[in-house]
Amino acid sequence: MATGDEKPVMVIGIDESEQSVYALEWTLDRFFAPYAPNHPFKLFIVHAKPNAVSAVGLAGPGTAEVVPYVDADLKHTAARVVEKAKAICQSKSVHDTTIEVFEGDARNILCEVVDKHHASVLVVGSHGYGAIKRAVLGSVSDYCSHHAHCSVMIVKKPKIKV
Amino acid sequence: METYVDAIGAGDTAATTTTSGAGDTAAKMMETATAAKPIKKKLKVMVAIDESKNSFYALEWAVEHLRDVISAEPETNQEGGLLTLVHVHPTYLQYIYPTGGTDSVPESMRKAREENTTKLFTRALEICRGKMVKTETMIIEGDAKEMICQAVEQTHVDLLVVGSRGLGMIKRALLGSVSDYCAQHAKCPILIVRPPKETSTSKQ
Repeated sequence: MATGDEKPVMVIGIDESEQSVYALEWTLDRFFAPYAPNHPFKLFIVHAKPNAVSAVGLAGPGTAEVVPYVDADLKHTAARVVEKAKAICQSKSVHDTTIEVFEGDARNILCEVVDKHHASVLVVGSHGYGAIKRAVLGSVSDYCSHHAHCSVMIVKKPKIKV
Repeated sequence: METYVDAIGAGDTAATTTTSGAGDTAAKMMETATAAKPIKKKLKVMVAIDESKNSFYALEWAVEHLRDVISAEPETNQEGGLLTLVHVHPTYLQYIYPTGGTDSVPESMRKAREENTTKLFTRALEICRGKMVKTETMIIEGDAKEMICQAVEQTHVDLLVVGSRGLGMIKRALLGSVSDYCAQHAKCPILIVRPPKETSTSKQ
């Protein structure tokens, strides 16, 4: 059809945690760096910035004053995450990636981005929560592996260095 | 290219015929971290299969998309990656004792099971054929989810690929999900391949 093959799309979701950084580095190491400049996938790096109002939601009275501070803090965090992602891509000499930031709940955003870009793979890190934390805090990797419309790769940071 | 077929029944350990041991992998990883130019280390990927259509779809998907990362390039003398196909038998035989009490029924069941497994692997290897991927097979007996995680630990693979039956929440809670368990407990990154929707939007 076209002159060249459309590259399959890979979306990787990151937050500010160490596990995300590990997941991004692992993915770039295995799937991108060795194949420069002709990567086998087109990469979108996505960060979901939590909504300030929902983050503060349960605090009770007086939250209205806190929201602007929380919002500013979240914006700083998001900027840091983007900077870090850019730095990692640079260090692996991986260019031609797109970094996007959306606001809202990570689970929904990742699934939407997958649909938007018709991704073949969604890559997420995993906080490695136990069963109880998982039930209380919810697990983005769990949600995505059940609801995303593409294959999901969960990259875990090994606890013990081999 | 070459296909190694190892059939091991009733085993808790699985013998593999990989050319690179775990030590090589660790050394390579350290090299990658410090070297100026990236070292093309190919992945060792394990795919779990059973009779379900979804796991075959997962295998096809993996071979299609991961081919670049696993296959060996003949012109450079780097070592190729490895694709391991693992199939876990449930051990249900011991619960079935016919009233007749002869040996022939468990015998024939075991034979039927072996035939089944052979057919399974034949299909699987068909899919891998011609993709320039070194493939090997493993058969383990036991509980699927635990055995897969154990196999991952023993063989130090880089990536585990499983299909997903696409169970809803309730069925998942009642029947248990191998992919869920592996996602939480496997010691390596895991790729869960979901079955394609009927209306496929992005097919190559």
